[in-house]
Amino acid sequence: MSSSFRSDVGTDPCDSVGDDRWWMASASDRGSSRGEIDGLLQGAGYRVRSTDLRHVAIGLEQLESAMVGDQCAASSAEAVVHYNPSDLTAWVDSMLSGLAPDPNLLRHPQSTATANAWADPTRQRPSSLHRLENHQQHRNVPAVSLQSMEEEEDAAIRLVHLLVSCADSVQRGDSEMAGSLLDQARLALARVNTGFGIGKVAGYFVDALCRRLYPPPLCGGGSAANPEILYHHFYEACPYIKFAHFTANQAILEAFQGHDRVHVVDFNLMHGLQWPALIQALALRPGGPPLLRLTGIGPPSPDGRDALREVGLRLAELARSVQVRFAFRGVAATRLEHVRPWMFQVAPGEAVAVNTVLQLHRLLGDRASPEGGDAAAAEPIDTVLAWVVGLKPKIVTVVEQEADHNKPSFLDRFTEALFYYSTMFDSLEGGSHRSGGHQTQQQQTVVAAVAEAYLQREMCNVVCCEGAARVERHEPLARWRDRLGRAGLRAVHLGSNAFKQASMLLTLFSGEGYCVEEVDGCLTLGWHSRPLISASAWRADDDASPPRDHQTLLVLQDHSSSVVDGDDHLQPAA
Amino acid sequence: MAGSNEVNANECRMVVPLNTWVLISNFKLAYNMLRRPDGTFDRHLAEFLDRKVPANAAPVNGVVSFDILIDRTNNLLARIYRPAPPNPSPATTPLADLHRPPSPDPFPVIIFFHGGSFAHSSPNTAIYDSLCRRFVSLSGAVVISVDYRRSPEYRYPCAYDDGWAALKWASTEPWLHGGKDAKLRVFLCGDSSGGNIAHHVAVRAAESGIEVSGNILLNPMFGGNHRTESEKRLDGKYFVTIQDRDWYWKAYLPEGADRDHPACNPFGPNGVNLEELPFTKSLVIVAGLDLVQDWQLAYADGLKTAGKDVKLVYREQATIGFYLLPNTDHFYEVMEEIKNFVTSNL
Repeated sequence: MSSSFRSDVGTDPCDSVGDDRWWMASASDRGSSRGEIDGLLQGAGYRVRSTDLRHVAIGLEQLESAMVGDQCAASSAEAVVHYNPSDLTAWVDSMLSGLAPDPNLLRHPQSTATANAWADPTRQRPSSLHRLENHQQHRNVPAVSLQSMEEEEDAAIRLVHLLVSCADSVQRGDSEMAGSLLDQARLALARVNTGFGIGKVAGYFVDALCRRLYPPPLCGGGSAANPEILYHHFYEACPYIKFAHFTANQAILEAFQGHDRVHVVDFNLMHGLQWPALIQALALRPGGPPLLRLTGIGPPSPDGRDALREVGLRLAELARSVQVRFAFRGVAATRLEHVRPWMFQVAPGEAVAVNTVLQLHRLLGDRASPEGGDAAAAEPIDTVLAWVVGLKPKIVTVVEQEADHNKPSFLDRFTEALFYYSTMFDSLEGGSHRSGGHQTQQQQTVVAAVAEAYLQREMCNVVCCEGAARVERHEPLARWRDRLGRAGLRAVHLGSNAFKQASMLLTLFSGEGYCVEEVDGCLTLGWHSRPLISASAWRADDDASPPRDHQTLLVLQDHSSSVVDGDDHLQPAA
Repeated sequence: MAGSNEVNANECRMVVPLNTWVLISNFKLAYNMLRRPDGTFDRHLAEFLDRKVPANAAPVNGVVSFDILIDRTNNLLARIYRPAPPNPSPATTPLADLHRPPSPDPFPVIIFFHGGSFAHSSPNTAIYDSLCRRFVSLSGAVVISVDYRRSPEYRYPCAYDDGWAALKWASTEPWLHGGKDAKLRVFLCGDSSGGNIAHHVAVRAAESGIEVSGNILLNPMFGGNHRTESEKRLDGKYFVTIQDRDWYWKAYLPEGADRDHPACNPFGPNGVNLEELPFTKSLVIVAGLDLVQDWQLAYADGLKTAGKDVKLVYREQATIGFYLLPNTDHFYEVMEEIKNFVTSNL
C-alpha cells in the first residue's frame, strides 16, 4: 500500500514547503478556530472538524488502498453496517477498524505533518458559507398533484388560498370574515375534483374550519368510531405504522442481545400489533429466547371488558406456541401522565425497553413563544421522561409524526397541517394499489376509506381543538432530539442495516413514492421526498457503547394471516 | 503497483483544496462500494449514504425551493428553485406565490440534470441542492432539478424520456413564460451524466420544435469504444478510472450495446447528424484533469462541424467536481461564464 504518508521525510518534493502551504490554506479557508466544523463540507451534508480533515483524508487513502486489492469492494462493504454517514470522521475510522489488522495501516498522527501536503495552488477565496436554515424552521411543501387542466390547477391554488385566509381570520378573531371565506371555499370546492388530491383534503379542512367556527354541542371533533378500529385500518392501508413497528422492533432486538430477562413497556398497546413479530424474532434468536415481560398501557375499557388483558392473553398464546416464556401486565390509565413506574414492577437485572409510538406528543402543552421556547412550568412530558430515564432503559424507541403542529400561532399550525395531511392523503391514494396483496379491490377501498377517517380525526384535533383537548401536538424530530437529550437520554444510531430492511419492507408492502431517509442516526419515512414519520432510538442505562454485530434479523410477518410452523398452528395475530 | 499509487496520491492532492479532496475521495470510496462486478448496484446503501436536504419554502439567501410531481405514471418528481417573492414572510411562502413568475421581465428557466454517472444522486442530494440555489442567485432563474430515473434499474432511454417530460411540462406552465411576450426561455443544464442528458433532450427539442435558449454542459459524460489519449494518461490519477466509467456505461446503455452507441458517443459512427436541426447554442465546460476530456473536446468539435454555436471553456488544472465547493478560482470563474451565457441568451 502507499507509503507516501509515512515519515519519508526529505523524499517528498513538497516536503519543505508543503507544510507551510497547508497551514496557509487552512488559515485563509477558515479565518477562525481550526476546531470548527468545515462550513463547505457541512453544506454538502458532512460534519467534519477542520482539524480532523487531514486525519479523514489519510483514512480515506488507506481505505482505498485496502480495497484496491479487493476484487469486490462491494461485497465486503455489504457485510459492514454503516452508521451516521454525516460524521465522516467516525465513519472512516469505523471502516478502518473493520479491516484486517495490519501494522502498515496504523496511522501516525504526529508524523503526518511533514509528508502530507495538501497544497492549494489556486488562489483561495473566502468561503461563502451556504448555511441551510436549521431544520426547525424548514417548511416542506409537498408534491402537490397539479392537474393538467389550467383551470383545475388555478382552482386548487385559489382554494388553498381561501382556506389559509380563513384560518388567518380565525386567528384574528374576525369570525364574520372567516365565515364568509368559508362560504367562498365551499363554492371553490365545487370546481375542484374532491375525489382525490388537494380537492379531497381541502374538503376535510373546510369541514374542520367549520367545526371550529361553529362548534357542535358535543365537543371532541371526531366520529363515534372506535379509535382502535380506525388505527388498525390506517395500519393496513399504508406503511407508516408497519415501518414504525419494524424499525422499533429491530432496535429493541439489538438492545436485548445478551440479556436473558427482558421487559418491554408499551405506551399504547392497542391491539398489540407490534409484538408478535418481536416475539417471533426472540424465539429465533441464537442462544434461545429470553424471558419476556410485556407491560401494555392503554385506556380503561368502557364496557366492563378488560381489553388490555384480552390482548395480553392472545400474545401469551402466541408466545407459548413458539416457546418463549412470557408474562403480561396491563396498566389502564386515561392519560399517560397518570402512570407511575412502580406500576411496571421492573425487576432488578431486567433489560428494559420503552416503546412509544405516536404517544409522546400528547404530553406536550402550548409552546410559550413563537421562537419555540418551552413553557416555564414543568409539562407532563418532563415528568414522564424523568421516570423513563429513571427506569435506566437499554432502549427507548420513539416514533412521531414529522410535522410541526404545535406552533403557537393557529395560522401556522393550520398551514402546516394542510400540507402535511395533503401529502399523507396523497400517499394513501398513490400507494394503495399495492397494500397487502391478498385483499380484493373492494376490501382495499374500504380499508383506505377508514384509514382516511383516522387521519381526518387526527387532523381535526389539530385544527379544531385547543388547550387540554388538543392532544395531537406533533413536533418535528429536531425538537424531540433536543428534548430527549435534555431529559438525559442518549441517541442510539439506527444504521444501514435497519435502513435497508425498512427499504425492503416498503418494496414488499407498498407502492412507489415512499422514501426512507437517514438523518443523524434516525430514520424517516415519507412520501415523494416529504418525511412524514420519524423513528429514533435512545438509551439511559450506564453501559458503554452497544454491541455492534447484528446477526439477528427481524422476521417479517404479515399480521392478517396465520403462520404455520410444522404441526403447530399459530393464532392469527391481533 | 505501489509506486504509481504513490504518485497518483501526491499529484491528486496538489491540485485541490483539502476539503474538496476529502469530499470527492469520500464519494469515490463510497461509490466503489456500491458497484458490483455483476453489474448490479447496492441501491439501499446508496440511498443511506447519500446526504440529502429537504425543500424549503422559507427563503434562504433569497432562494426558496419546493418539490413537485411532474408525472404520476413514472413518479417523476422535480425540485424547483426560485428567487424568494418580494416581501417574503420569514416563515414560508404561500403556495400561490411559488407559482408566480419571479419577475415581470424575461427570466431564465434552467432545467437541471444532476450528475452521478446515471446511477447516483438525486435533486435533494445536498451538493446538487447547493448548486441549483447558486444558479438562482446568479441569474434570477427558476431552476427545475429533475429526479430522472437512474441506472442500472432504469436504462437508456429512461433518463432522456424523463428529461423530455420535464421540458414539455415546463413548456405548458404559464408562470414560466416570462416577459411581455410570455415566452419560455429555457436552458438545459447538467453536469457529468446530466450534461449528456441535456444534450439528448436538446436534440429531441430541436426535432420537435421546442425552442431552447441554450445548453450548459459541465464536465459532460461522453465516451466511445476506443481509448483516447486523455483516458490512458489520466486513468486513476484524479479520482476517476476507466474501469468505473466502463461500469457506468454498461449499466446505462442497452444490454449488448457498446460505447459507440449514440447515447454515449453522439458524434461517433452511430451519431445523429445535427446539421439540419435547429439545435441550440452550447456552453461546454471541460476540466483539464478529467480523463473524459478528449470525448468532451470531440463533442464540442462535433457541434462546430455541424455548424452549431459552441463556446468551450477549458480549465486546465481543474478536476471533476470543481463546481461543488466554492473554494477555487475554477468555481467562481466558471459560475461567471454560466451567468454571462444565460443572461446574454435571454
